[in-house]
Amino acid sequence: MTTVTHEVLSSAEWAERAPVLRDEGWMLLDLHGVDRLGLTGDEDEQRRFEIVCHMLKRADASRMVVHVGVEGDPPTVASVTRVWGTAGFAERETYDMYGIVFEGHDDLTRILMPDDWEGYPLRKDYDVGKIVIDFKPQPFLQTESPGQAPSFGESHVETDALGQMKRDGDDE
Amino acid sequence: MSKTDPRVGEIVQRIEDEGQGAFVESYDPDDEIMTINMGPVHPATHGVLRLLLELDGETVTDCKPIIGYLHTGMEKECEDQNWRGAVTIVTRMDYLAPFFNEHAYSRAVEKLLGIEVPPRGMYIRMLMSELNRLTSHLVQFGTQGLDMGAMSAMFYGFREREMITDFFEMVTGLRMNHGYIIPGGVWEDLPDGWQEQMDNILEVMPNRLNEYQDLLSENPIFIERTRGVGTITAEECDTFGVTGPIARASGIDWDLRRDMPYEAYDELSFEVPIQEQGDVYARYQVRMAEMVQSVALLEQIVDQMPDGDYKNMDPKLTPPSRSELNRSMEAVIHHFKLVTQGYAVPEGEAYFAVESPRGELGVFVVSDGGTSPYRCHVRDPSFYNLQSLPVMAREGLVADLIACIASLDPIMGGVDR
Repeated sequence: MTTVTHEVLSSAEWAERAPVLRDEGWMLLDLHGVDRLGLTGDEDEQRRFEIVCHMLKRADASRMVVHVGVEGDPPTVASVTRVWGTAGFAERETYDMYGIVFEGHDDLTRILMPDDWEGYPLRKDYDVGKIVIDFKPQPFLQTESPGQAPSFGESHVETDALGQMKRDGDDE
Repeated sequence: MSKTDPRVGEIVQRIEDEGQGAFVESYDPDDEIMTINMGPVHPATHGVLRLLLELDGETVTDCKPIIGYLHTGMEKECEDQNWRGAVTIVTRMDYLAPFFNEHAYSRAVEKLLGIEVPPRGMYIRMLMSELNRLTSHLVQFGTQGLDMGAMSAMFYGFREREMITDFFEMVTGLRMNHGYIIPGGVWEDLPDGWQEQMDNILEVMPNRLNEYQDLLSENPIFIERTRGVGTITAEECDTFGVTGPIARASGIDWDLRRDMPYEAYDELSFEVPIQEQGDVYARYQVRMAEMVQSVALLEQIVDQMPDGDYKNMDPKLTPPSRSELNRSMEAVIHHFKLVTQGYAVPEGEAYFAVESPRGELGVFVVSDGGTSPYRCHVRDPSFYNLQSLPVMAREGLVADLIACIASLDPIMGGVDR
C-alpha cells in the first residue's frame, strides 16, 4: 500500500526543507494554492493562504503532501524553482490564481490569465460573474442619416449570406 | 528591433512574406539571433500553444512556451457545482482522455466519502480507461505521423479510434466528455450487446497495431526524423516532474497502475514498456507497446468482468430506482434531497492520481462539509510535461521542434484548464 506522509510547514521552514527533501529523493509533482477563507478552524486570517505540494519518491513508492502556510500582504513565500524545475509553471499558476508572491522566481508573471488581468480568480472573495462583460454598443437603429435608414442585421432571415443590407427608411 | 539598420526591414519582410504566417518579434543582424513567434494558431502546435523561439539560423537556441489561450476557469467552475456535477466539468479538461479525469476526480471524492466501489464498477472503469488509452494513443500516433509527413498515419489512427468512440457512444451516449465515471461507480451499467462490440474491437486491434508497425516503425524517413531528436534524460524528467510515456522512454520504470495499483489492476497481468534512449522515437515505441498492453488488459477485463452492482447503492449517494419511488416514501425523500442538493462530503482533503495516457493525472479536492467542492485542483500531466519542451528543443532544428511537440502530446485543454 502506498504510504502518504503529511507535513505542515511555515514559509521560512519550507525554504530550508525543500533542498533536503530533494536530496532525499523526493520529486515535486505538483504545487498549487488553497484559499482557506471560511473553512472551519481557520478563522485566523494570517493562515488564510497556503500552498500544497505533492511529492513522490519512486524508490519506496511513497507520497508526501506538504502544506506551507503563506503569510503577509501580499502573501509571500520563497520560490523553489532552483530546487525543482517543476515549480516554474506551478508557482506562476499559483501567483496568477491567488496572488501569492514567490520570492526568487525568475519570471513571476501571469500564465493562464491575460497579462493585464486584475484580481486573482481562485481567491474565495473573488466572485464569479463579478466582471461585467460589455458587449460592443450596437444600437438597433442606426440613425446616421435624416432618412432614418435602419440596417438589417447580419443574421436577419431576409438577408442572404452574412452581408449587411441598408434600406432606405423612406420606402416603407 | 533596431529599425535603423536597412538590412533588418528587408530580411524581416522576406521572412514574414515567405514564412506563411511567421511573425518576427525581434532580429539582431550582428549576431544573427532572431526571435520568432510560433502559434497560437499553428497546425503543428496541437491546439493553441504559442512558442517564442530564439533562432540562430535554423537552430533553436531557446524556446519559451506561452499558454493560457484555452483557459476558462474550470477549477473555479467546479466550486459552483455539486459533487456529482463537477464530474461534467473535469471531464472537459484533458479532452482526449476524459475518462481519466473523471476517474481521478471520482476516486478522490470516494476517498473523502470513505466508500467502496463494487467489483463490477471497478472493472467497467478499467475497461473504459484502457479503451480511452487506446483512442488517445491513436490520436498521438496519427498526429505524430502527420507532423513527420506521413499523412496516411492520420487516416489509419482515426479509423480505429472511430470504432472505439462508437463503443463509447453506445455505453455512455457521448463520444467525448462523457461524465460516465461518477463518485461511487459508473453512471449506467454496460448496455446489452457490449460484449459483441468489444469482441469485434479485440479481434481487429492486434492486426491493426501490427499494421502501424509496418507503416511507421520501420520507415526510414520517420526514423531519420525521430532518432536522437529531442532527447531528455531521466534526471531532467525528475526535475521537471515529467511522468508517463515520456518518462518511461527515458528509462524511468514507473507506472501507477503497477506500482500504486488502484481499482483492480493488481488482479491483472501486464508489462510496463520501457525504453532507454529518451528521444522522440523511443517515446513513439513506448506508446506503441502500451497499446499492445492495453489490448492485453482489455482481453483480461472482458473475461473477468464480474456481475453485480455497477455503483455504490447507498441511498444517501445514489438516487433510487423508478419502481422504488412508487413504493417507498423514504426513497422519495432521498431522491428529493439528492436532486435538489446533492450529497454532502465530510470535511477534509484528498489527492488521488491515475495513470493517464500522458502521465500522472491527479485531482486534489478540499471539502468544507458541504454539497459542493470547496477547492478542486487538477494536476494535469500535459501542463508539467510541456515545461520540459525547452530542454528537448534546445540546440535542435526547427523541424525537430515539431517532432518534439508531437511526441510530448500536450492537450491544451488540460494545460490551460
